[in-house]
Amino acid sequence: MGKITYKRLKGSQNMRQRLLLATLKSTPVLIEDIHADDTLPGLRPHEISLLRLFEKLTDDCLIEINETGTKLKYKPGIIVGGSHLVHDCGVSRAIGYFLEPLILLGLFARKTLVIILKGITNDSKDPSVDTFRSTTFPLLKRFGVPSEGLKLEITSRGVSPHGGGEVHLTIPTVQHLTATMWTDEGMVKRIRGEAFTTRVSVQLGNEMIYAARGIFNRLLPDVYIASDYRKRSEAGNSPGYGISLVAETTSGCCISADTTVSYPRGDEEEDIEGEEKTELIPAADVGEKLASGLLEEIEKGGVVDSTHQGLLFLLCALCPKDVSKVRVGKLSPYGIETLREIRDFLDVQFVIKPDPSTGTVILKCWGSGMKNLSRKTT
Amino acid sequence: MAMDSGADGQSHKAHRSRHSGASAKKKTKAKNKDQNSDQKQQNPKAFAFRSNAKAKRLQSRAVEKEQRRLHLPVIDRTYGELPPFVVVVQGPPQVGKSLLIKTLVKHYTKHNLPDVRGPITIVSGKQRRLQFVECPNDINGMIDAAKFADLALLLIDGSYGFEMETFEFLNILQVHGFPKVMGVLTHLDKFKDVKKLKKTKQRLKHRFWTEIYDGAKLFYLSGLIHGKYPKREVHNLARFISVMKFPPLSWRTSHPYILVDRFEDVTPPERVQMNSKCDRNVTLYGYLRGCNLKKGTKVHIAGVGDFSLAGVTGLSDPCPLPSAAKKKGLRDKEKLFYAPMSGLGDLLYDKDAVYININDHFVQYSKADEMGGTTNKGNKRDVGEVMVKSLQTIKNPIDEKLEKTKISLFSHNGRKRRKAIFGDGVDHSNHKSTDEENEGDEDDDGDDDNDEGENDRSNEDNESCSGSEFSDGDEEDLKSEEDGMGNISKWRASLVERASKKQNINLMQLVYGKSASTSNTATNEVKDDSENEESDDDEFFKPKGQRAKNSIEGLDGGNINTEDCSKSTKFSELKNWKEEEVYESIRDRFVTGDWSKGALRNQMSEAKTEEDDMDGDFEDLETGEKYESHQKDDSSNGEIQKEDDDAIEDRRLKKLALRAKFDAQYPFIKETDVQNGGKFHRSQANDSGYYDKLKEEIELQKQINIAELEDLDETTRLEIEGFRTGMYLRLEVHDVPFEMIEYFDPCHPILVGGIGLGEENVGYMQTRLKRHRWHKKVLKTRDPIIVSIGWRRYQTTPVYAIEDQNGRHRMLKYTPEHMHCLAMFWGPLAPPKTGVLAVQNLSDNQAAFRIIATAYVLEFNHAARIVKKIKLVGYPCKIFKKTALIKDMFTSDLEVARFEGAAIRTVSGIRGQVKKAAKEEIGNQPKKKGGQAREGIARCTFEDRILMSDIVFLRAWTQVEVPQFYNPLTTSLQPRQKTWQGMKTVAELRREHNLSIPVNKDSFYKPIERKPRKFNPLVIPKALQADLPFESKPKNISHRKRPLLEDRRAVVMEPHERKVHALVQHLQLIRNDKMKKRKLKEEQKRKDVEAQRAKDEQVLRKRRREERQGRYREQDKVKKKIRRHVEA
Repeated sequence: MGKITYKRLKGSQNMRQRLLLATLKSTPVLIEDIHADDTLPGLRPHEISLLRLFEKLTDDCLIEINETGTKLKYKPGIIVGGSHLVHDCGVSRAIGYFLEPLILLGLFARKTLVIILKGITNDSKDPSVDTFRSTTFPLLKRFGVPSEGLKLEITSRGVSPHGGGEVHLTIPTVQHLTATMWTDEGMVKRIRGEAFTTRVSVQLGNEMIYAARGIFNRLLPDVYIASDYRKRSEAGNSPGYGISLVAETTSGCCISADTTVSYPRGDEEEDIEGEEKTELIPAADVGEKLASGLLEEIEKGGVVDSTHQGLLFLLCALCPKDVSKVRVGKLSPYGIETLREIRDFLDVQFVIKPDPSTGTVILKCWGSGMKNLSRKTT
Repeated sequence: MAMDSGADGQSHKAHRSRHSGASAKKKTKAKNKDQNSDQKQQNPKAFAFRSNAKAKRLQSRAVEKEQRRLHLPVIDRTYGELPPFVVVVQGPPQVGKSLLIKTLVKHYTKHNLPDVRGPITIVSGKQRRLQFVECPNDINGMIDAAKFADLALLLIDGSYGFEMETFEFLNILQVHGFPKVMGVLTHLDKFKDVKKLKKTKQRLKHRFWTEIYDGAKLFYLSGLIHGKYPKREVHNLARFISVMKFPPLSWRTSHPYILVDRFEDVTPPERVQMNSKCDRNVTLYGYLRGCNLKKGTKVHIAGVGDFSLAGVTGLSDPCPLPSAAKKKGLRDKEKLFYAPMSGLGDLLYDKDAVYININDHFVQYSKADEMGGTTNKGNKRDVGEVMVKSLQTIKNPIDEKLEKTKISLFSHNGRKRRKAIFGDGVDHSNHKSTDEENEGDEDDDGDDDNDEGENDRSNEDNESCSGSEFSDGDEEDLKSEEDGMGNISKWRASLVERASKKQNINLMQLVYGKSASTSNTATNEVKDDSENEESDDDEFFKPKGQRAKNSIEGLDGGNINTEDCSKSTKFSELKNWKEEEVYESIRDRFVTGDWSKGALRNQMSEAKTEEDDMDGDFEDLETGEKYESHQKDDSSNGEIQKEDDDAIEDRRLKKLALRAKFDAQYPFIKETDVQNGGKFHRSQANDSGYYDKLKEEIELQKQINIAELEDLDETTRLEIEGFRTGMYLRLEVHDVPFEMIEYFDPCHPILVGGIGLGEENVGYMQTRLKRHRWHKKVLKTRDPIIVSIGWRRYQTTPVYAIEDQNGRHRMLKYTPEHMHCLAMFWGPLAPPKTGVLAVQNLSDNQAAFRIIATAYVLEFNHAARIVKKIKLVGYPCKIFKKTALIKDMFTSDLEVARFEGAAIRTVSGIRGQVKKAAKEEIGNQPKKKGGQAREGIARCTFEDRILMSDIVFLRAWTQVEVPQFYNPLTTSLQPRQKTWQGMKTVAELRREHNLSIPVNKDSFYKPIERKPRKFNPLVIPKALQADLPFESKPKNISHRKRPLLEDRRAVVMEPHERKVHALVQHLQLIRNDKMKKRKLKEEQKRKDVEAQRAKDEQVLRKRRREERQGRYREQDKVKKKIRRHVEA
């Protein structure tokens, strides 16, 4: 056994991409100074949960954390996947945080991944599970992922602070992705959405839908927003409501926006015991703001919204050795960070060209030639 | 033809065919028959399908055949010029390999090659280059050669027959992706008898065919003329090579690799002087093959190890293809060749040195030098010249040289010729290769090494501008800046223009930072400087777009612990979308808006991505002047050409896309064409539709790739896709063991292979392995074998296993005789489906087939899951009714707990179960005796009461550890003649130390002794006895003390009675005697008959055999006659 050379990194930033790319490329990484200067140093609960998830999916991976939790040694194993897996995502971050790396990991696993994720389904910080269903899955199809296998069922919804949501995720495996030329953003032809309420009145949901429609109606008649009213066991442990919207264009692009309103997490608010329940934003305002947010995303242009930029770049970089070309709106900070991580791990650089007439950016890359190596041959 | 010959003047008498007679009749008859069969049959209905089922069956068969023919189309991702094809010439020693290369080189270039060392690159046609490599004779060299060969010429000594090397090499080729193979028979002039020659050719051809495929090309070279092969035959061979197509092989298309044709040591001399055994820096030169090479790629140097590349530079092609010559064929001047290791070629520049090779026609003494430097031939020489020359030739001190010669002296002992034998014939004929010749060769080698070295030193410090094409543009930029100093407005204009040009690069820099453009090649450094200068200017002249992006840059440094959130929209600062002008501004993004504008938005940016960068808006902070795309006209002049090209490219692409779309929509167009001809053809056309579509898609993707890559500038393209295949590269590798330099042998080409994704990691690999049927023994688990996977060769210890019905991987001690099995071993990972070749003994002096097994990788995992059977044996120590306490099966109570519920069985077949560890009070009473409680006694229950004499088994499976051992073969780090010695097998060690195989006494087979069982008499309890009916009651009849009266009385006969009795006895005696005699007689008779019959049988059998032999002989003759007819 030779000695392992670790790739040295610093800080907890881009933990997800780093771990994901390290696993896909099987490069051992050593991350130092994780929240070293904070009052509570070390890995956050969601980061530990993420590591546990990676451990669950891979075969013989090695994770070492020092006592303070500021140093992490990760030697990836082989992505195995498999069914009947259950993972508790905790309540510090939403399921969306885990789903983003999980999807890519699942594609390159040995066996089809069937997993139950428990925790917060909808959150204002991470993309909601509805968005994954409506926007991310069509995005994956663009890269040659068979649409039959992709499945995400929301058995119960849970919002912060106590979560209690549960989703069933199925991701098929692929031999390799296919490169895509995706620069035609098309025109928005329909807007769909879903407004949900948990442990609050149905009326709030309807208010959100009404307000959102009010914004869209001037631009497009084809707007349909469904309502999803959850009760009892399906409604998780905390009250909340939220809405997610998707704009579909004539060329098949999906641009999404979502938000959730709920009471903040306990740990942040513990010191302010007095005003225990802060007022929530009124439902009508939420609907209106999110509709405006979606329009802003549309205004930015590009084939995906700013949330999915990172995933899009990752998919492009993981293609076989062909050229992929995509158009996005203004580069989001997350997208840029992802580009850098891709450069560092996969040695894939994008050619980035702005398109001033539309205010968009065109990115081009030569895939890394990633193949699913863990799949067993017969 | 007839007309032509007539025109020549000499007229021949035309052939007059017979119009009458027997032969004429025969001819007309045959003609008629032909016509009949050709045209419509007499009764076409007779041959139509009668049955529906039959028609269906035939149709499906035809379809199936068609489908079987199809293969998944392979994506060819090589763009631009192809690298030269590698022609490996392989064969056993003394078969004429070097001579074949020499004659081929002579044929192509009209140059005489003194000796063949290293790859020789040759331009063989307008579009084709070839690289000839002689395959070394050791197995390591053969394995490496098989990995880079595009075409293998297998040389076979026709006078001797096949030798093992040929078959070994064929096997190696097959495992590492079968490249093209052509056999070449030499030494055919040794046959005096034409018939024998013909027969031998026939035999060898058929044997060759069975190995490859029926109809594989076997070329015959009949003898030598003036020490060379006949010109015409070499010409034909060259023709075969030139028309050959090389299908892409999957491993090679996914990995970059370089066949090194030049090799230099670039370690600073002072370091070497300080320590002659310090790690060296080397440069390796060669054409890039396989796929594109990126700068960060790690490489594996075969026989040395893994290294990261310290530097990669693209050099200008030393042996370029003739540039679009209009003339047919090659002009003599263009017949280039390049063979630095053989010390030939023309002027050569590179980063390390400049080489001028002067042709021996022009310089008199160089020839003498090449011939070995020892013969003077009476040339007049200057004293100084001689001195200089002697200085030049000597590279190494004399003592070192002496050492070398010593090595060469001892290494060449007689080689055993390894006859490939089929069937049962056993004849080992040892031909001794001539020692003197070899020695002579060796001397030559040494001298030519020195020649190279001389070149090496001549211009070490000369830094050349090899990759100057990259930096040209930037230098121009710099120049323009200097020029413009006088005229400020002009200067500013150029700046603005440049800024606009650099905009995209700037955005890339923003994202990737400065480090993206810094690279380790010297050529790029110039460029960096110019960029740095510009960055100062950017402070003042900033494109608008960039300033907006500056906010992004702020993220660069700062907090390393930022939370990673893919969502970035802040809902606090939203526009008011209720206002009309706000929402009207994005009206065109909706289907309710202006469609033409929306479409324009996409199209414009599609076509004008290039152009758009030019006319970005800029603000000049000094003058406050706005440059709003009016400089477009100025810049456009130069760009028109480029735009045109792009437009053409775009159009072509669109055409292709359209065609693909059309084909997809109307797949039946083709079909209707075919409909006229035959029913079955239609279905074929139908089927290939999908196939064609797939091919079309691949082609389309390729065109897109080319188009997209073309419109990038050279440096960006290099960053994006890496170095293209076909490029001549210079790889710099640092910290290579000095042995590589010391033992470098140009006859052993160096292979440098790129390592793919995840291939540098080590882990367990599961392979599907089959012992080679020519290897005489089965393989033993954990015996070290040497495997060749991908680029690597390493020694590892496999554990063999087989998959049971239930998916369990059961360990095997030995590989099955004729079956596949699984082999699990530890080593650097290779992707699934990679071929694996196993060898055990690397030495050249063995007659047997050296390849022991072939395999392919199934999967790799980090944990090995192989199990073997384990039997725990225990004995009852106390038996209750159906429960028993079992001892000696487990060693502790903890162990018992582990096995709770496990199934157990006695030898007699009584099944049971482990319950729990036995409590102390039951049967296990230590406390009373004052001792410790005995641990590991298990309470078990059985389906029946067991006996104390029973033995209880627990059958379980235990994990088998696969040793984490692998040892890379470092054959390039030792003298080539030395056999690499790795871990030895246990058998080898025993043989060495004269140890016998340890025997376990318990494993001996002994006669089983079974004592007759003594059963106690049946005792029926009294209570039970009382209840039994009288019949069943045991009856206790006591013995009589006195015998009965009938027994006691005596019988006295009367005299008459006595007489009668005596008579009867006499008669009986007589009869018995008679019977005895008769029996004897019969016995004798039977024996006689049997003997007679055996005799007859023997005679009959003999006759039959003779008959049969005669018949077979007759049949064979007929067969041979037929074959001869057919061939004739």
